[in-house]
Amino acid sequence: MRADAEALYNANHRGLFRYLCRAVGHVETARDLTQDVFVRVSRSVIPAAPEGALRGWLFQIARNLALDHHRSGQRRPAIEPLTDTAVRPAPQETSVEVNAALAALADVDRDVFLMREVAGLGYDEIASACGLTPDAVRSRIHRARLQLRERLSGQIAERRMTPMRRSGRNG
Amino acid sequence: MNDTHAVISAFLDDEPFDAADLAAALGDPEGRALLIDLVALRHIAQPDDMINAAQTRTARAVWRPLLATAAMLMALAGGYFIGERQGATTTVSAPAPTRVIEANAWQPVPPGGGR
Repeated sequence: MRADAEALYNANHRGLFRYLCRAVGHVETARDLTQDVFVRVSRSVIPAAPEGALRGWLFQIARNLALDHHRSGQRRPAIEPLTDTAVRPAPQETSVEVNAALAALADVDRDVFLMREVAGLGYDEIASACGLTPDAVRSRIHRARLQLRERLSGQIAERRMTPMRRSGRNG
Repeated sequence: MNDTHAVISAFLDDEPFDAADLAAALGDPEGRALLIDLVALRHIAQPDDMINAAQTRTARAVWRPLLATAAMLMALAGGYFIGERQGATTTVSAPAPTRVIEANAWQPVPPGGGR
């Protein structure tokens, strides 16, 4: 990997991986797609742009890969993940419900929400990644939140019982 | 829930917001409930549970063949030692005779069994 691509990888692979985990709903696929993002980056000319715009560019590649993945999934039969439901812990059940609620959102709404909440991008970066204005990002994020709040009311009520941080980090 | 509550999202996201709008939104009990719900939603949206579950599955997948091999070796070793012990019990000397039969002197038998 070239030095500039490597620097981009080091700065962003974690956020991309986390975004892709929720965007495709499968950890191993997210790992593969994260690698694919950087394969594409290493074969392209990295634009001379400020850091925020570069992040937006990276997430645009990731978003396109995730959308391609969804489209190819529609042509092929869905593959059931091999999970042992008898011993599945409760947090994983919540995770499955979150994935289902996210899948019910419009693609753009889901992506702006995930880029903000899971990858920590700012509105300008999300606007650059999704081809929207920052104002459109603001209203789409809020709309996605309201829809998810309604769909995940049980899980949210349960989560409210335990101490939280504004950042959403558990550690 | 109305659009004036969008300022709560901007506040949560550390984006610019109008302080008066935020004060108005948080002055409403629904706005306060929304703020707390959105923080809880932020928590449950994190993919850590998925990632941890996948790591556990991977670790299990690595350990499973090792544990199976270990169990097989234990079974083989156990079988060997049990076999050894049983072999040892069969080589114990015979019990003392309760009756002694003495053979008479040998008598020559003619060829053909004497018939």
